[in-house]
Amino acid sequence: MNKAVSYLMHLHDLTIKKFHDGLTNKEFTALEVAEDYFKYIDERDKEIGAYLSLMKDEALKQAEHADLTVAQGKNVGLLAGVPLAIKDNILITGQPATAASKILENYKASYDATVITNLKQAGAVFLGKTNMDEFAMGSSTENSAFQKTKNPHDLERVPGGSSGGSAAAVASHMALAALGSDTGGSIRQPASFCGVVGLKPTYGAVSRHGLIAMASSLDQIGPLTKTVEDAAIIFQALAGRDRFDSTTAETQYGDELRNPKLEDIKNMTIGLPDEYFVSGVEPAVIKEVESAINALKSLGIKFKQIKLPHTRYALACYYIIMPAEVSSNLARFDGIRYGGATGVNRRSVGLLELYKKNRSRGFGAETKRRIILGTFVLSSGYYDAYYAQAQKVRRLIKNDFDQVFKDVDVILTPVAPTPAFKFGEKTSDPLSMYLSDIFTIPANMAGLPAISIPTNSPIQKLATSKTSLPVGFQLIGKPLHEADILGIGQYYEKIANSV
Amino acid sequence: MAEINKKSLKHLADLARLELNEKEEEKFLADLDKILAYFQELQDLDTQNVQPMTGGTELKNIFREDGGTQSSLSPDLVVEAFPDKEKHWLKTPPVFE
Repeated sequence: MNKAVSYLMHLHDLTIKKFHDGLTNKEFTALEVAEDYFKYIDERDKEIGAYLSLMKDEALKQAEHADLTVAQGKNVGLLAGVPLAIKDNILITGQPATAASKILENYKASYDATVITNLKQAGAVFLGKTNMDEFAMGSSTENSAFQKTKNPHDLERVPGGSSGGSAAAVASHMALAALGSDTGGSIRQPASFCGVVGLKPTYGAVSRHGLIAMASSLDQIGPLTKTVEDAAIIFQALAGRDRFDSTTAETQYGDELRNPKLEDIKNMTIGLPDEYFVSGVEPAVIKEVESAINALKSLGIKFKQIKLPHTRYALACYYIIMPAEVSSNLARFDGIRYGGATGVNRRSVGLLELYKKNRSRGFGAETKRRIILGTFVLSSGYYDAYYAQAQKVRRLIKNDFDQVFKDVDVILTPVAPTPAFKFGEKTSDPLSMYLSDIFTIPANMAGLPAISIPTNSPIQKLATSKTSLPVGFQLIGKPLHEADILGIGQYYEKIANSV
Repeated sequence: MAEINKKSLKHLADLARLELNEKEEEKFLADLDKILAYFQELQDLDTQNVQPMTGGTELKNIFREDGGTQSSLSPDLVVEAFPDKEKHWLKTPPVFE
């Protein structure tokens, strides 16, 4: 077998668990695998466009370090040597962190995000930074100021967004796993479009320190992976109280994340909300989600119809609260503190002019639209009618969930109303783009953990499923009950894999 | 309900330190019109006795010891990230003209 074919098959086949076993059994070194990934990225990313920048020198050093630890006979953790892709709104010291915006084109991060510190301690290897919608605003990665990312399953279609680069990198085997961020669905929707697993943790489970803030009351960092078990492994490394983020909760996640007991899973009740199974959802999506429900029924899990009556208000509510927070978070980009847009002469204008020139040239259309919208809903005279009202409706949405979680353990829904759509299909009408997040937004509004899992998802199929587009189903759990959704997900994968 | 016209859009852009060109103005006015119309349905909800949810967490009053914390920031890298500098000083355009 020629070398090119063999390394490719080997990358297709890898999961974090398999990588760890291979590394500790000395079947390969972390350095060899990292080099293979860079070779493959070199070849494949010309077509996909998942990465904005690569960190080859640093990555190979990190990999050598993992190998050294293994060679010394020391115990290594599950993430030692694991090659990861990182969304470009998460800071790694000395590396670019553009958030896919021209205003940060020349910026290099001055510190590590807490999630990066945690992953470095676990010995992980960072391959590079991935493409996204500018400042994580979008559902297709078309709002990147730099490049398109293509869906590996169909190059004429978007990978979803905003973590489209991370999802495409994992789906096309250019990274073993990746980090994304999710404010209204930005991990789960691209995971569904690209056929990978995507977990948005409970608000406060993972530190946001070092994540370029979009909407601070909604943002969470989470993993995009090939399997649910891999998502559990990365989540466990990310979670925990951080003194640099006061919204993080004191949490104790243990063995149950990765080794759920079948007895516990069987005894669960899953709720199916009427409001998520409606006429606007493509029949193909409903069919896939129903197949997942049937698979879970075969485990003995009980299902129950439920109602979340305020679901229909979630999108409007989100598009008031999120832009309000965006307009205030993005005020810091003044063209001075983090560098400015290329082509603005700093000497020729006064300070106010410099702000305006940098921001007007540095921000793309969607970013400007949301800043204006946020400025409007917060402005005197409109605050009560829009922002204050939205915060109250947000409470009603959360109350819906609190109520149904008295009767059910987990809620199952589609992730998005459609599979991946074509480039340009929704770019001219912002509202139609916003609608693609309609099923993912409520979990952010209520701060709940939620996961997107590809239906019928043997990982071997990811490489070859040319015929149909992937579709994910969503599991939403109680606050800090990631173990429930990860547990059900792991048993689902066992059934799906055995078919 | 409220609508945004050309004049108020200009004012909002000013507040947000943005300059919009003619084309952007037209596009944004049309987009915002649609988006604000979509918000209309929120007005119909009775929220009189509802407590606003003001953040993503119910955690309250997180305290720490009153003392220095070791920052993860490297001062050199922070200065390095600044576009215009002299030694360890940051340079900005004049504030007063």
